[in-house]
Amino acid sequence: MRKKLFAGIMAAAMMLSLVGCGSSGSSSSDSASSDTIKINIWDNNQKDGIQKICDKWTETSGVKVSVEVVDWDNYWTLLEAGASGGDMPDVFWMHSNTAQMYMENDILLDLTDYIEEDDSIQEDNYYEGVWNLYNSNGKQYALPKDHDTIALLYNKAIFDEYGVEYPTDDWTWKDMYEAAKKITEASNGDVYGVAMNTSNNQDGWYNLIYSYGGEVITDDHKGTTIGSDESKEGMEMMRQLLTVGAPQSVVAETGTDSLFQSGKAAMITQGSWMINTFYTAENYDDYAWAVLPYADRNGNGTCDSDERWSAYNGLGWAANKNVSNPDECYSLIAYLCGEEGQKMQAELGVTMGGMKGVSDTFSSAFDGMDVSAFNKIEEEGNLFFRPYTRNTTVWEDALQQQGAFLDAWQDPSDPNVMSKACDNAQKIIEDAIAAE
Amino acid sequence: MKEQERIEKKSGISKSRKKEAMWGLLFVAPTMLGLFVLNFYPMVNTVYQSFCKTGDFGRGNIFVGLANYDAVIHDPTTWQALWNTVKYALIEVPFGVTISMILAVFLQQKIIGKSFFRTIFFLPMVCAPAAVAMVWKWLYNQQFGLLNHLFHSNTAWISNPNIAWISVGVIGVWSIIGYNMVLFIGGLQEIPKDYYEAAQLDGASGIKQFFHVTVPLLSPTTFFIVQTRIIGALTVFDLMFMVMDKTNLALYKTQSIVYLFYTQAFTNGNRGYGAATVTILVVFIMIITFILQKLEKRFVHYN
Repeated sequence: MRKKLFAGIMAAAMMLSLVGCGSSGSSSSDSASSDTIKINIWDNNQKDGIQKICDKWTETSGVKVSVEVVDWDNYWTLLEAGASGGDMPDVFWMHSNTAQMYMENDILLDLTDYIEEDDSIQEDNYYEGVWNLYNSNGKQYALPKDHDTIALLYNKAIFDEYGVEYPTDDWTWKDMYEAAKKITEASNGDVYGVAMNTSNNQDGWYNLIYSYGGEVITDDHKGTTIGSDESKEGMEMMRQLLTVGAPQSVVAETGTDSLFQSGKAAMITQGSWMINTFYTAENYDDYAWAVLPYADRNGNGTCDSDERWSAYNGLGWAANKNVSNPDECYSLIAYLCGEEGQKMQAELGVTMGGMKGVSDTFSSAFDGMDVSAFNKIEEEGNLFFRPYTRNTTVWEDALQQQGAFLDAWQDPSDPNVMSKACDNAQKIIEDAIAAE
Repeated sequence: MKEQERIEKKSGISKSRKKEAMWGLLFVAPTMLGLFVLNFYPMVNTVYQSFCKTGDFGRGNIFVGLANYDAVIHDPTTWQALWNTVKYALIEVPFGVTISMILAVFLQQKIIGKSFFRTIFFLPMVCAPAAVAMVWKWLYNQQFGLLNHLFHSNTAWISNPNIAWISVGVIGVWSIIGYNMVLFIGGLQEIPKDYYEAAQLDGASGIKQFFHVTVPLLSPTTFFIVQTRIIGALTVFDLMFMVMDKTNLALYKTQSIVYLFYTQAFTNGNRGYGAATVTILVVFIMIITFILQKLEKRFVHYN
């Protein structure tokens, strides 16, 4: 009797749960198709700001937007799985590493016709490199969301403690090396003068190659001069910085940002998309930004026009080709990349704009922290677009392996290591491009 | 009656047996379906893809014959990764098995708090591998880690290529001990008490009993554990993936072959190349298993 009763209850419970599944399943799919646009991004720092801009758009359109953050590595794995026949977000970020592949395979919603009919989006208003990046065979697949530059971040308290003068906007990479050396030696290695993140080329060693006159990928995206004497000189400077900085084993395990924030590193190079992390940090009034150092190639003691370089990159807002509501998705993208959305993005301090001329308000978003270094390099120095080819990750990964730069990262004390690595890197990139 | 039986024998299966078989099939159908969809189909597809130059997003595969295998075999990374995997197995399997066997023997004895200790040793098995890896990663951290703090050292436990494989192996041993131990306890309980009584009467010491009674009679369990753990260690991924970041300097000398496959197939989007790598691993595991099966007859005592 008891057994029967128990079985009855179990059966009833199962039925209930099944019914529950059914109803919740249908309601969620309903709302997903008409009421909510699903956005995926990879930067948690920007989530709140983006959500605010989207909410503003929701006020006029009536369509809800939900923003979900997936970390960088998993973002691409998931997006690719989604594109190969799974669940894909409606609207999402595109990046120079993979844009070409996504565009060629017809994964993204073609925005060309929409843009033509839309007066608020004019190509001339955007950063050329970012706009072109998301154009393939004359079709536009994404609109520029932002652009970013790199600057030097330093901890005033550490410089004070060891009696070293603060970085200035006239520093060369050599000056940076000398200062780092002083701090590392004065503290007996307790504090690192500098922490260079070798795995993040964009905010690190790429800038050295370009300021010394080399190119990681040539302008036509079909070659490289990473094995040239200029590049070698830049990488040699990088090697010297590594010898007085944090060992790469420490950097790889802890990350330059954490080292800097815990007062273990006096200087790091960082991109404008990271400002918020440091602005909201505990000791933020110790932190200050300087313009990225230059390479005094001709030795005249001043920074000439092509001696200071910063990488820049720009994300794009793209949509899934198979969305059920392409008009609404475009409308959202156009709002995010239009003047109002772009201004809001800068004002909120999310990132600098993909549209030109909206980023002045960006510096003022950080009350009490001078971040003008990011704008200054744009006005006084040069920007190079983050090197990319059709399948960037393949050679980017290969450059970090043994035989390429790994040997230098592991043991920078050997003065010949960079020249060998650069020669190998030249071959690696050429082979990778040939295989694309 | 006899006639009836004769007919049944001829046709092979009687009506009732046919019905029984049908029901049997019906009951295993869900499992079979799962196996086919989730295991067999991907397996066949992987082997097929290993002969293809796969297109982006799984489209436009071009048959290229053995080109992927040719490339994989001539890539030193493959052999390094295979060697890394074998090294990992060489730590995890012997230590994981010996330590857990000794623990099992101790926890089989009448001691206070037996189930408490058993629970403690089994706990790592209950934790998510990702969480385990995160905790160990911080213990090992060169700058802020507890290990370097305790020993006043400055060792890059998981970033120095010479020792990183040992550090990862240690985590592997630590997390598998509990599981092996439970299996050993099960095996120990099947050994009849008479053997020990007889040994005691003959004046055998505890250690002698262990080597001459426990070890031989436990050998079927040991063999089972060794075999499954070898396969498990050769296919290790989650632990490696969580502990060894993509930026880790020692990655090349530590990554397992499945990690390499993941990088090739999913990070770099080269499915065909990855499929060839992983097929080579399957062949390797088959060879090892074959050798183990041969050894079974020599070393395992079934009573």
